Amino acid sequence: MARHLYNKIEQQQAPAFFVRGPSPFARLAFFSVLSLALMAADTRLQYLVSLRQSLQTLLHPLQLLANAPTQLYLNTSEYFSARNILLSENQQLKKRDLMQSIALQKLNLLAVENAHLHVLLAAQNSLKESSVAAEIMYVGRDPFARKVQINRGQNHKILPGMAVVDAAGVIGQVTRVYPLSSEVTLITDTSLAMPVQIERNGLRAIAFGHGRDSNLDLPYLPTNVDIKRGDRLVTSGIDGVYPAGLAVATVKQIVSGTDKPYARIVCEPAGGVENHRQVLVVSKPQLDSITTPSITEPVKLGLNQATRSDKMQKMTNKSAKPSDAHAH
Amino acid sequence: MPINKLKTLYFWVLLAFMSLLLPWSQAALIVRPDFMLLVLIFWLIRAPNLCNVGTAWMLGLLVDLAAGTVFGQYALTYTVTVFFAVTYQRRLVLFTGVQQLIYVFSLLLISQVMLLIIKTFAGGHFIGWMYFLPSLSGLLVWLVTMGLGLNTGGRGRAN
Repeated sequence: MARHLYNKIEQQQAPAFFVRGPSPFARLAFFSVLSLALMAADTRLQYLVSLRQSLQTLLHPLQLLANAPTQLYLNTSEYFSARNILLSENQQLKKRDLMQSIALQKLNLLAVENAHLHVLLAAQNSLKESSVAAEIMYVGRDPFARKVQINRGQNHKILPGMAVVDAAGVIGQVTRVYPLSSEVTLITDTSLAMPVQIERNGLRAIAFGHGRDSNLDLPYLPTNVDIKRGDRLVTSGIDGVYPAGLAVATVKQIVSGTDKPYARIVCEPAGGVENHRQVLVVSKPQLDSITTPSITEPVKLGLNQATRSDKMQKMTNKSAKPSDAHAH
Repeated sequence: MPINKLKTLYFWVLLAFMSLLLPWSQAALIVRPDFMLLVLIFWLIRAPNLCNVGTAWMLGLLVDLAAGTVFGQYALTYTVTVFFAVTYQRRLVLFTGVQQLIYVFSLLLISQVMLLIIKTFAGGHFIGWMYFLPSLSGLLVWLVTMGLGLNTGGRGRAN
């Protein structure tokens, strides 16, 4: 097209061979400088956040279209999955439900006791968090970063900085929020650090993603630190981002040389960082003035979905009565 | 004729972009060739008047958006790669099939090395030699399309 235009303007017919506009080198210089400026604007100055958000929203239908074939495949395979598989799964879930409801009964009791103790200690504030269920749309395409995209965004009240967990533990943190989706940086990404605590002895540390393999590192711990293989790491909650006590990883390997001041501690993430689709986005714990909880009103754990909490309420109500009698 | 060609170009770019948006995961993500760059190189060889350094830059920005990387990373990578492609575009007519393959492979490698340099500056870590697999798979895709009879320019088209 450019050539036609040029031919119209320029009456003197130059051979088409040479009609190429600015030289490739000039173009290279121009666009390279433009790219560098863009990179600076994006990383250092944060000017392009809203632009990226709006473009990503435009892209959303295309993304859904691209995801459609896999979604269709998953749905059909779900539909045709054998009856006995469903039955056994149902049985397992029932068993787990029973176990968890028992655990929950104990937990409610503990929560009430804890609240009571808090009142005694005159601690005015407790931490509450809410959650949104989401599904992973796709794994990030950047080979240098460990990221996933989930199908909940600004419109579902997701904010950057929220923690993302699955059934087994923490998997990451929301880093970018678009109107209809958001980007989650996994805990195995090198840029993500999270404050953790060893469950056994309460030792605090900071876990970093390892990047290349899906492991976590615990740097800056001295070689004589009290840590063993199989120790469980949980979130310490002192950062105000992750709710305290969520499982993060288990210690897999400890290498401590006498010539090094720090031990090299490799941990394996507890959550299915690479193999789950359903995740839960947990909001930052917010300071709420404590309400005197009664045993008939179970403490919302935040991790429960709305559909299940009704069922739980019935169960806990039933269980609450005998314990009430004990207390008096 | 050029309008028609332009439409085909847009169609292929859209197709490459959709392939980028597919939910790749695990091994597929590592091996996945850079379809966008392949389409770009193909059209650069076929119709350098339609597709030039500026086009590459724009498409690079699109890829940046889709990949969630910092704006300008892929744009710069594509710009540099296409610059090399344009520089040798005239000579390409004399290339035989094998020479053209080497040319395309080196272009793919240039783009990957370029991206690696940018990412390393940004604080990324080299993820191992597996990183260069997309160049090989891209070459394979090129070979297959040539085998299917797609006219990729060069001397090979005579037969």
